[in-house]
Formats: sequence, structure tokens, C-alpha cells
Amino acid sequence: MFDFDATLPLMAGQFLLLVVVLNALFFRPLSRVIEERQAYIQGQGVQARQKLAEAERLARQYEQELAQTRRQYQATILQAQEEATKEAATLVAAAQAEAQQQREQVEQQLQQQRQAALQTLQKQVDSLSNQILAKLLA
Amino acid sequence: MYQSSVFINLSPPLVASLEVGHHLYWHLGNLKVHGQVFITSWVVIAVLLISAWLATRNPQRVPQGIQNLMEYALEFIRNLARDQIGEKEYRSWVPFVGTLFLFIFVSNWSGALVPWKLIELPDGELAAPTNDINTTVALALLVSLAYFYAGFRKAGLGYFAKYIQPTPILLPIAILEDFTKPLSLSFRLFGNILADELVVAVLVLLVPLIVPLPVMLLGLFTSAIQALVFATLAAAYIHEALEVGGEHGEEH
Repeated sequence: MFDFDATLPLMAGQFLLLVVVLNALFFRPLSRVIEERQAYIQGQGVQARQKLAEAERLARQYEQELAQTRRQYQATILQAQEEATKEAATLVAAAQAEAQQQREQVEQQLQQQRQAALQTLQKQVDSLSNQILAKLLA
Repeated sequence: MYQSSVFINLSPPLVASLEVGHHLYWHLGNLKVHGQVFITSWVVIAVLLISAWLATRNPQRVPQGIQNLMEYALEFIRNLARDQIGEKEYRSWVPFVGTLFLFIFVSNWSGALVPWKLIELPDGELAAPTNDINTTVALALLVSLAYFYAGFRKAGLGYFAKYIQPTPILLPIAILEDFTKPLSLSFRLFGNILADELVVAVLVLLVPLIVPLPVMLLGLFTSAIQALVFATLAAAYIHEALEVGGEHGEEH
């Protein structure tokens, strides 16, 4: 059972040879494959994180732009309303002034016509009373 | 030459005979070699090389099939080496520790799964390469060389400081450790695998059906565990030797 002979050194040499061959054929190439894969996965992870950060940055930017646009549009509406009210007020004022003017004009004309009518009536009264007087005296 | 043999041959069933200590001797010059160990170890090495070649022939970013399997094995080995040796140094030791694990694991499982005994040899019988003390001692001595190499490369002659490091009183024990490490490594593996195969063989001899199955499953389990233990201890010894060099500079 315990007979040592040349099997021992030959087996040792054979094993060392196997180490060298397997190192070249198995350990080195497959380790490289595994390390390359890890590097690839890490690279992809870094890229994905960068893209995520970029997307978040863009989303924030768009939200800011949106908020700004909303503020702008509210301001525009307010301004337009203000302008419209102002314009309406001026228009109303102008119309009222014109109406007032026309009324005054009409009143003046009315006054004049009344005056004229009263004068003609006075004249007629005078001539009629002269006639009546003449008739009574004559 | 010391040889012990157990010969049990109670009943005719062909597969159920048991022999230990008989080898198929090949003669190289005036050297003797256990042929059956080399035959099975070549099969094991062929399995490893072919699966490695298939896995790395056309590597994909999304692994499939055998590439997936071998990447799983490689990740397992890398984690083992990293846990034992540490993040900084483990890379250069992955091939050695990994080959130890793969070779022992495939050897053990080949002994448990492949019906080697159906192949007739003139003498001896085919079994797991780790079933032979020569193989396990060779691997254990390589581990010793590896951790001495690691220590000397890291600390130079300062590596000897580890023998008197906490106190010189422990010097004999520190020296003894260098002998007990390979001894325990080799005998643990050898004993476990041989004992497992013997138990299975004896049970098959006694009750040829069904009853040996749980023991065979247990054998698969211990085989895997022994491969893991051997590789883990090898990495731990290397780490220990690297620690001696590392004590000057950095934390630990």
C-alpha cells in the first residue's frame, strides 16, 4: 500500500505541467472573460446612472419652464383684462359725454323754440288785443 | 519494498473482488512506475483539458452551456483563493489552487462514478489516481514547495523569522509543522478515497443491490469535500507563508 517509487516525481511533474497548460487554456482566458463582463456591466451601470441624472435634470428644467410659462400667461391675461376694462371705461365715458352734449343741445333748441313761440304768441296777443280795442272803440 | 494486500474473493461476481497493493508496474529504465495510476490520471487530465478547451473555445459575454459550468467552477475557485489568500495576492495563486481542486475533484469522482473495474488489467486494477499514495504525496509536496516559494519570494531570507517569530521556544514545533502539513494533507486524501472505495467494494461484495447506494452517495459527497479541503488548506498554507512577508509593511 505504501510503496513509493518513480510514480511520485513523475506525477508531480505531470501535475505541474497540467497547472501550466490549464493556466494558459482555462484560468487566464476565462478570468479575462469574467473581468471583461464585470467591466462591461459596471460601465453600463455608470452610463445608466448618468442617463438617469440627465433625464432628471431635463425634467426639472422643463418643470421650471412650465411654471415660468404659466406665470407669464397669467400675467398676460391679467394685463389684457386690465386694458379691456380701461378701454371700456374710456368708451363709456366718451359715450356719456356725447350723450350729455346732445341732450344739452336739444334742451337749448327747445328753449329757443319755446322762446320764439312765446314771442309770436305775445305778438298775436298784442295784435288781437289792439283789434279788440279798435272794435270796442269804434 | 513494503506491500500489504487484502484479498477477498468470496463469491464469483466479477466486479466484486477487492485488491489493495497490487499494481500494474511499468519499467522505465530501472525505475518502476504504477501504470494504472497514470492511465486514470491521463483520463482525468483529458477530461479537464477537453472541458477547458470547449469552455474557452468561443467565449461569449452571455455564457451558455459548458462555458457557464466552467465559469461557475472558476468563480468558485477564485472565491476560495480570495477567501483564503486575500484580495491582494490571490490572483497569481488561482491556477495552482484551482488545478489542485479540479484535478483532485475529477479524480475522486472518476473513482466513484466510472466503473473502472470493467476494464481488465494484467495486474492491479484501475481506480481513482488519488487512491494511490504516490499521487497524494506528490500533490502535498508540491503544496509544501508552493508555500515555501511564496514565503521566500515575499520575504526573502526573512521568511526564516517565522520559525522564531512569537518565541524561539516554539522552534521545534514550527519545524515539525513543515513535516506534518504535507503528511496530513496526503494521508487525509489518500485515506478518505481508499477507505471510501474499500467500503463500497466490501458492501457490494456482501449485498450487491441497493444497499451500497447510500454509501456510494456518501462517497461522492466525501470525495467532493476532500477536494475542497485539500485546495482550501493549500491556499491557507500559502496565505500563512505570505503573512510572514507582509508583517513588516502593512496591517493584518
